[in-house]
Amino acid sequence: MAMVTAQDAVANLDCESIAFRESGVVMASTVAGLSEIDPAIAESPAAWYRQGGLARAASYPAACVADAVGEHLGIRGPRCAVSAACASGAMAIAMAAGMLLDGAAPMMLAGGSDALCPFTLSGFNSLQAMDPEPCRPFDQNRKGLNLGEGAAVLVLETLDSALARNASVLAVLRGWAMTNDAFHTTAPQERGEGLAACMRLSMEMAEVSCDEIGYVNAHGTGTPLNDIAETNAYETAFRGRSHPIPISSTKSYFGHCLGAAGALEAAIAITAVCCSVLFPTLRLTDPIESPGVDFLRGEVQRRPLPLAMSVSAGFGGSNTALIFGGGGS
Amino acid sequence: MTPDLPTITGLGSVSPYGPLAGLIPQSSLEPGSITAWTTAGLRRAFLVKPFRPASVVPGLKTRRLDRLSAWALVASSLAIQDAGIDLSQFDRSRVAVVFGTGFGCAELTEAFFQSAAANGWSGTDPSTFPEGLANAPASHVAVFHNLRGPNITVGSTTFAGESALLQAASLLRHGQADLAIVLAGDTLTRAVYEWYEAAGFLSPACYNSEPLPEGGGFVPSEGVVALVLEPAGRREARYYAHLSSGRWAAGGQPVETIRQMLGGSVPSLTICAGNGAPCATSSTSALAREIVGDNAAIIPPKAVAAGLADSSALLHLLLALSSRPRSGQALLLGTSGESGFAALVLELP
Repeated sequence: MAMVTAQDAVANLDCESIAFRESGVVMASTVAGLSEIDPAIAESPAAWYRQGGLARAASYPAACVADAVGEHLGIRGPRCAVSAACASGAMAIAMAAGMLLDGAAPMMLAGGSDALCPFTLSGFNSLQAMDPEPCRPFDQNRKGLNLGEGAAVLVLETLDSALARNASVLAVLRGWAMTNDAFHTTAPQERGEGLAACMRLSMEMAEVSCDEIGYVNAHGTGTPLNDIAETNAYETAFRGRSHPIPISSTKSYFGHCLGAAGALEAAIAITAVCCSVLFPTLRLTDPIESPGVDFLRGEVQRRPLPLAMSVSAGFGGSNTALIFGGGGS
Repeated sequence: MTPDLPTITGLGSVSPYGPLAGLIPQSSLEPGSITAWTTAGLRRAFLVKPFRPASVVPGLKTRRLDRLSAWALVASSLAIQDAGIDLSQFDRSRVAVVFGTGFGCAELTEAFFQSAAANGWSGTDPSTFPEGLANAPASHVAVFHNLRGPNITVGSTTFAGESALLQAASLLRHGQADLAIVLAGDTLTRAVYEWYEAAGFLSPACYNSEPLPEGGGFVPSEGVVALVLEPAGRREARYYAHLSSGRWAAGGQPVETIRQMLGGSVPSLTICAGNGAPCATSSTSALAREIVGDNAAIIPPKAVAAGLADSSALLHLLLALSSRPRSGQALLLGTSGESGFAALVLELP
């Protein structure tokens, strides 16, 4: 999935250019090649390897996803994996942006990829975190998440570089931030303080006020604990805003794609900016009561959107916020 | 020295040398016999001897944690202690944790598969699932020390340690953190060891008690090394090295690139951080000689560190610093594949 998605992402690039050849890759994944491993490995690893598992196990390290993308595209810059649970995909984009600024590579491919596998299905089932019905993020009657799978890859370069080669700039990453709750390995902090701080920091970096953000693509898993903590975080981060902050969870469309989620949702936030559309949360009928938040539901809304934020959080307390503006911003 | 250069001010480790703050007293180390699982005959590795984390870091509770998370907590605490830092004097929302690992929490992943094998996918152990995610050790470090800055876990074939160090330096450089705890390490498990064995990566020294041969495979190792990284000049502190610059890439022209980084000078010390054959004829040592010449001081990869594979760089660096190197410029060099490289230029006091 990562290779196919990356191939699509670079479809309009000059793949013979030096900048492309020297580009780097940051790819997120929570399970990587675990999808290739089955419980028989636990009985006797050596026997499992002899029976064909050796090559399959080689894809276990998370770094293999970035390597697969790099090898497939024939690029030779730095390659890196990110594992920050469900914040990984967004964090990959933030890290790639930092690497661009450092001059580590002239161009970066960043994103995430996770395949659905028995390991994750069983794990989330054991945590009783899944809703057997289609999920309902931010609904008072939400019961949990739906797992999904997918991949998303963004091509990042500096604005100067993009303009110099007359590239079609889809969006500008105006600000980003990463924080940690330092609270618990699985449970979010109920007041969402770490996530709120993350959003505030990203707005500081982008040098924008909370009134200027027109839409937030939320983490919105649909679990009882996440959604209330996240809502509290929006109340804190956007306090003082003149009108409620419009948010939605597009996990109600795709399920929770884990390591790919943050990258996929960044792509949706960019689409929202490019196309001036705000996507509602599906199946949201009875939103959490929160005066500072405008939970989008019902029809797709069309309105100019200068700036959108994408927010991700994950097990281990990691948070990431990305702010995208239009290509002309 | 340029103000604000990322600077290593603290070191901590849990390695086959034991849990230690600061430098590692030099002593020879032989692989030990594996007893944690049944082996078909003698199997050796560089192993961390069991110890009680609370005896090293008073108050530390690790009963529910796997060894990787426990070692990360111990190593980070020892590094902070070695740096002479009182975290209560820091804004902890500005302290980052960056962890580099090859296999992550492999012990718990294996335990999860064991519960699936025993009970079916519907009867797996809920306690091992989230703790088995690769970022669990970094998360525990954040919770224990109440560190609320960026918390990043990275992997990179061969260069997980270098990548962690460079990512942390980037956070400091861009003002996203004032201090970073950088960690790199892995645990050795049965599935990992037998994978190396099945792939034909192991040294003959894994199968007999003879001294380590030069080349011909490696002896797996385990452990976690932690560094405290902070901008130079922010406080009066002893330091081990400044990080001047760093690059890593999957391919390219390493000789030209690294010579450019060195600005035409020859470093007083080149530390080879290869994974694999720990010997003077390794590809990393060969690249080092090509860059700095035959007469320069080159430390070839050390067996105990090379056994850490992807996450070996920080232990290589720690061992080199522990050898009381001369002052001046040092190059930490790693190679991967035909032309992949990682190069970090350090200034030693």
